Amino acid sequence: MADRSLAQILAQLKQAPQMSYPEASALLSKAKLILLSLNALTPTSSTPPNLLALARETYEQGALFSIRAKNADAFTRYVQQLQPFYELPSVTLPPNIPERNKVTGLSLLLLLTQGRYAEFHSELESLANRDGGGTDVEGDRYLGYPVRLERWLMEGSYDRVWKAMKSSEVPCDEYSVFSEILKNQIRSEIASSSERAYPSLPISSTKSLLFLNSEGEVIQFAKHRGWVVKEGHIYFPNTAADGSEDGAYAKDVSQMIMENTLGYARELETIV
Amino acid sequence: MPGKTPAKDGDDSMTVVVPPSKTSKQPAPAADAEGDVAMDVDKPEEKVDPAVQAVADIKSNFALLDRAVALFDARFSLRALRSISLIRKHLSPDVIAQAIVDTFQASSASSSIAKNLLSAVGRENVALGRGAGAEMEVDSDAKATKNGTSKKEAKEIIPEIDVFLGILVQVYLFDAKSFQQGADFSKYLSDRIQTLNRRTLDCLSAKVYFYFSLFCEYIAPLPPSPESPIVAIRPTLLAVLRTAVLRKDTDTQASVIVLLLRNYLLTSHIKQADLLVSHTQFPENAANNQVARFLYYLGRIRAIQLRYTEAHEHLTAATRKAPSSGCAVGFSQTATKLLLVVELLMGDIPDRATFRQPSLEDALHPYFLLVRAVRVGNLEDFETTIADNADIFKRDGTYTLILRLRQNVIKTGIRMMSLSYSRISLRDICIRLHLGSEESAEYIVAKAIRDGVIEATLDREKGFMKSKEVGDVYATREPGEAFHDRIRACLALHDESVKAMRFPMNQHRLELKNAQEAREREREMAKEIQEGDLDDDDLGGDLDGI
Repeated sequence: MADRSLAQILAQLKQAPQMSYPEASALLSKAKLILLSLNALTPTSSTPPNLLALARETYEQGALFSIRAKNADAFTRYVQQLQPFYELPSVTLPPNIPERNKVTGLSLLLLLTQGRYAEFHSELESLANRDGGGTDVEGDRYLGYPVRLERWLMEGSYDRVWKAMKSSEVPCDEYSVFSEILKNQIRSEIASSSERAYPSLPISSTKSLLFLNSEGEVIQFAKHRGWVVKEGHIYFPNTAADGSEDGAYAKDVSQMIMENTLGYARELETIV
Repeated sequence: MPGKTPAKDGDDSMTVVVPPSKTSKQPAPAADAEGDVAMDVDKPEEKVDPAVQAVADIKSNFALLDRAVALFDARFSLRALRSISLIRKHLSPDVIAQAIVDTFQASSASSSIAKNLLSAVGRENVALGRGAGAEMEVDSDAKATKNGTSKKEAKEIIPEIDVFLGILVQVYLFDAKSFQQGADFSKYLSDRIQTLNRRTLDCLSAKVYFYFSLFCEYIAPLPPSPESPIVAIRPTLLAVLRTAVLRKDTDTQASVIVLLLRNYLLTSHIKQADLLVSHTQFPENAANNQVARFLYYLGRIRAIQLRYTEAHEHLTAATRKAPSSGCAVGFSQTATKLLLVVELLMGDIPDRATFRQPSLEDALHPYFLLVRAVRVGNLEDFETTIADNADIFKRDGTYTLILRLRQNVIKTGIRMMSLSYSRISLRDICIRLHLGSEESAEYIVAKAIRDGVIEATLDREKGFMKSKEVGDVYATREPGEAFHDRIRACLALHDESVKAMRFPMNQHRLELKNAQEAREREREMAKEIQEGDLDDDDLGGDLDGI
């Protein structure tokens, strides 16, 4: 009885991915209530397999809906709840690999945009041991995407990241939610490296460098960063900052040496 | 007391070296010192049959265990454990059964334990008490057990002995590759240990859990799969850890933490491992080997979490703490491999001498190729090295870490180019480093400049990179820092050596007493001086005495 109505709700959710978030979450909470009454919110050894599959599907739908609504907290919660289901051996619960990788890929991307690299890599490490086809992480459509993005971000090939976000490489709609965040992230990365790398930049080429659409946007961006725009060139006000930094630095060195030497003297005293 | 000390010393030096030929002699001084074991009966037969000798060796360890209980000193138990590696070669069901039969008597209360031990080695129908093992049990020391709660009868076998026999059974089952049987037996043994609360059992029980988890690792499905039995024993180990912490049982604590970490890492549960580390405190005075293992696993976790500096620190300590003799080559190889990768990730190039050590040379060859590719900054070489050795790297568990090295290769390449050319076009950089496009090259170089890898500027209009003059290294803080690091390492070494020294118990009380006496003498002297009946010669002599 109960699981039939659960299956109905799930079918409803799947058919209409463009459903508004409040509607969807109302349906989802109904589904979760049914799961609770069936005692299948978390997998136990006595839970029947068809119920496990339904529970997993509920969480997966929940995760997808919350990411469409850009609700990162709810998404993380759903992913956490999915974790024990993904850990189940394939005999108990045959894995639904595309859906699983989709959700995992999204959570990886979320970690990446939030700059939580340590967790990103811990997660990545555990993927290789997954039951059933988890071995080829890079080759997978959903998982490969965040992995490649991370690599490019780390080495600094921002143009590739840009292209990957623009082109059809994005595996599905949900992934484009992160594009806006990533765009801003890249732009500020490029800006901070340009400040150190170039003495000056012509406005026209800055436009393409920062992936902006017009020169007006460039000037706006430059103002925002505190850059000086003069005669069609952008100058970076970093020389002044460097001078004061040097003074602090020199003072720092002498103080450090003094501290070290005093430390050695103290240690020597304890030894002798 | 003074008569006993030299005998003890002689005993000590013997066990440290333990040449196999001398083992037959070992029981003799031990027996003399305690006066409770009469081993002389076996002596003539020892050269005849290795099995008989093995039985004798096993039994000689009981004396050590007895002494450990009597004197409440874990060193004797450790010595008994150390001798397992010697006995190991001669272990067979018959040897173990013989030792058990000689030890336990059919009538005693512990005969059920003996039966369990016997059934584990498949000799359940051997009758107990045949060998009149009375000589073993009758010892005056067992009565003086410091664990006052349980008053032992003279005939009762101390639990240490039966656990020791249990460990021997575990070792035998492991060598015989009967893993399932071993796991079952270990379960029984660990259950039994948990019912006993004796501090003299600590180092033995640590060993029992070690074998328990080792057995589980070898039972199919093998570890990376989530169905492996190692996942199932986690709750048991965690419970054991909790009990060990409550009982301040540092041996078990250290060994179980290490086992759990290993357990989590085998199934790549990095997060859980990290949480375990942050929620537990590794005992400070744990055995050196356990510390080395713990540091290795910690280094591994930190490396995965991109905390390379910490990882480097832990792994360096782990490789240094690893025993330098041949018995732990595997550990130092694994630790060194990981250390090399972490060093590369930090942007350092490992010392070439590391690859020349005879025990490491072969194992490290793939890593040598890798280091070479990174050092030159050749992306093509790097990719082929990875492709060629992917299987080895995957087996070592360093593959994902090595994949992260790509950016380091590029950075090194850029650094090499910036050192060799004062001005180079982005197109050339792109071609030499095999980067996808000129734009990529530009972004990458800009990032390298920002990260402080190179000192250079870019010219966007003309499309080249101009290197700045390299400054004098000695004008920077670099040499000072290197010097500071070395001094710190030396000081830490000194501190650790001081900590590692073993101080005899209660010695400080003796000193206190001496000090008190000296003070009293001084007071007397002062009194005498006051009274004026002390001449200078007298005073000088007294001062020398102090």
